[in-house]
Amino acid sequence: MKSQIDVSGRIFYEWPDEGCRKEMRFSDPSQLAEEPYDVVIIGAGVVGSALAYKLSQYKLRLLLVDKNYDVGEGTSKGSSAIIHTGFDAAVGTLESQLVTKASIMWPELIENLKIPFQQCGAVLIAVDNEQYNQLEKIHQKAIDNGVTDVKVLTSGEVKELVPNVSPEARGGMSIPRESIIDAFSIPIAFSEVALANGTDILLGVEIVDVEDADKSIKKIVTASGKSIPTKLIVNVAGLGSSKITPKYNGKFFDLNPRRGQFIIYDEFSRSMVDKILLPIPTAQTKGVLVIPTISGNLLAGPTAEDFPLDDETAADTTIDGLELMLKGASRLMPSLKDLPRIGSFAGIRCACSQGTYQIRYNDGHPGILTVSGIRSTGVTSSPALAEYLVEGLAKECGLSLVKNPEATDSRPENRWPGWWKRPYENNGAVKNRPEYGRIICNCENISQGEIIDALSSPLQPFTLDAIKRRTWTQTGRCQGFDCMAKIAKIISEHCNIPLNKITKKGPGSEIAC
Amino acid sequence: MNSENHVKVAIIGAGPSGIGLALGLAKRGVKSVLLIDRNEEIGGIPSVYKKKQGGVRTFINLIRGRVVFGEQYTQWLAGKLAKAEPAIWLKSKVIEVEPSEKRITLINPDQGKVHVTANAVVMACGARENSSIELGWLSGTRTGRTFFSKTLLELMDHHNVLPIKQPVIVGSDLNAYAAAAKLRTMGASNATILDTRSRPKSPLYSRIYFQRWKSYPKYHGKVKSARFIGNGAASAIEVNNSMTIPCDGIVLSGDLIPNSELAMLAHMNVEVHSRKPVVNSDYQLSEPGWFATGNILGGFHSAEWCYLHGKRVAKFVATYLKNNK
Repeated sequence: MKSQIDVSGRIFYEWPDEGCRKEMRFSDPSQLAEEPYDVVIIGAGVVGSALAYKLSQYKLRLLLVDKNYDVGEGTSKGSSAIIHTGFDAAVGTLESQLVTKASIMWPELIENLKIPFQQCGAVLIAVDNEQYNQLEKIHQKAIDNGVTDVKVLTSGEVKELVPNVSPEARGGMSIPRESIIDAFSIPIAFSEVALANGTDILLGVEIVDVEDADKSIKKIVTASGKSIPTKLIVNVAGLGSSKITPKYNGKFFDLNPRRGQFIIYDEFSRSMVDKILLPIPTAQTKGVLVIPTISGNLLAGPTAEDFPLDDETAADTTIDGLELMLKGASRLMPSLKDLPRIGSFAGIRCACSQGTYQIRYNDGHPGILTVSGIRSTGVTSSPALAEYLVEGLAKECGLSLVKNPEATDSRPENRWPGWWKRPYENNGAVKNRPEYGRIICNCENISQGEIIDALSSPLQPFTLDAIKRRTWTQTGRCQGFDCMAKIAKIISEHCNIPLNKITKKGPGSEIAC
Repeated sequence: MNSENHVKVAIIGAGPSGIGLALGLAKRGVKSVLLIDRNEEIGGIPSVYKKKQGGVRTFINLIRGRVVFGEQYTQWLAGKLAKAEPAIWLKSKVIEVEPSEKRITLINPDQGKVHVTANAVVMACGARENSSIELGWLSGTRTGRTFFSKTLLELMDHHNVLPIKQPVIVGSDLNAYAAAAKLRTMGASNATILDTRSRPKSPLYSRIYFQRWKSYPKYHGKVKSARFIGNGAASAIEVNNSMTIPCDGIVLSGDLIPNSELAMLAHMNVEVHSRKPVVNSDYQLSEPGWFATGNILGGFHSAEWCYLHGKRVAKFVATYLKNNK
């Protein structure tokens, strides 16, 4: 094992059987760094992976660990995939500052990280007098938040910007910098760059205890009883974070999942809407958004329903919830009532009764940072939040930051997702690699080559859901009817895993029982 | 590469209806026919159903008066097709259609992206099973081991994997009963079948027909709602917010929905809800020179019906070619 800073990190999966490549199975801490880590980040969602990305720019020994079998598989996996400007955030809060700052960072960041992104703009729409009367207040709030490029619209202007809008539209406001992004790619891209810079990554590893929390070298303990030494610990485990805090005497806080259900429309509906349509929140309801997605679909949602922590139904979709979304969406655009829908999903927000953006340095003991209550704005704020946390770790926890001149801040050019760059458009590429011409996902026209590229990408994913998030296969109108078995077969052959051991999202979700 | 290929008739889909059409055209002396399919082999859906020891034969070949495996049915089609000698491009996915020029653009591993023009184009694209949202009464999380009946068959018949030992099947059509019988012959326990209807959708005679091989699945009718339960993989399904049926996998076998996306892409008339392409009495789509045949027209038809339908539509295609030289 190398004892110096590695040029490239190691990645392991804790997998009980042959559902994962043999050489990538985590069986013993000796597979990791010999000396204690400088920082262990618990939780590889958008925030944890963004932090790893930022910290990996310095000469530090880093470990990013997550209990799921891919990065970004907790609350980060289901969102509206919007990069907000922060125009409606509570003025003067940390959340507002970070969102506003990050919204300016994203257009450049996506080029470095190779994340599909489109500044499509949003239109806030008032459909009755109560809503119309709120417009001036919302406009002022946007200006106070530093989002000065917004514009109040007359009903005629709204109808011009949104051709199929409800005839009830009284007026609105345009927010030109609201953007859509491939949110699946965010934690993947952050983690891949961190890995390239030497960060080690452990997946499928749940941290259940912290030993020697009061000492300068602490130990995180995994569910399988392995202990890994580190100088600093950052707990960004999302909904799982409040279970770890008592282990290091961290301050109590309570979290619960807040569900947001979405309807997915057939991609033919996408041509009707090219901007994000925002309702005006009223005393009764926050309202339903209509959101074009970067992959070419259209969403309506979300709900906001609170559940107790660990409620297994928290991520379910319900018939009533979907009915509610349909009603809300058709209020903004009546034709959405009848357009064909292909699926639904429920995302989870991390709701915290102690308030949003809970950041506690030296929580319980020196050298431990707890970050929680990062609700739906986390997708947007993650790069700014990560910068903020890096500064804080240096100032509050004495982390020494020495730039690593060899570190990169970018993914290589070939990591642009295939569905975004369309390799089949280039007959030279197909000639070199005929599998780019073998379409496997017939709804989204994704080739075998793109699936193999995803399997050979730095995190070397194994699950059907991980492939879905990298390629957008299984997400189209057939919802996997045509491609699921074929993709399972490709994973099986490429990774040398028996077909019946291929999983949807890790051990316990094998395609055969 | 990128060259323009021209044929008299391009047929999109080499399942029973596409093959029937190619044969019908050959019989009428139409030369220069190109049969295109996105899969690795011809035959469409029947080709998924492999011949197996102890397996369930589900394809009726009226012409030869036999009940056979889908694979055998495909072999019979292939034998007939060999005499017609159309050009066949497999692993070829059509991604764009240009209606007025009767041009289609497709991708395959050998040629990359290619354009093909034709005097007439026939969509024989078949149908697929509805997703759960299209069924409208299912909720919960889409857990692991939730399959469409076709995916299940691909795993069982193509790859010899038995994914489910204790199945719940959602939907009660012919596919549902075929899946139940197939699972049973491979060693699974008797399936529970759920549907909103008071009686199964599959007609009595076909249910009896499956019973010949194995014992009868339990039927739960008049279901108002069903919710998937399970974290990693399906572990149960909750019916009407009250009864919980344990299982280790779920099969979705809904109604079929036409694969009419290419017609929609070309802005041809397609019914919004049923997604059936609109055709005239000659099975011509709203754009002249474009035809449709088989299960893309809606409904739930047997392979044999599709084959015979393809043959019938060939007559109209041939007439069109004669009148539009």
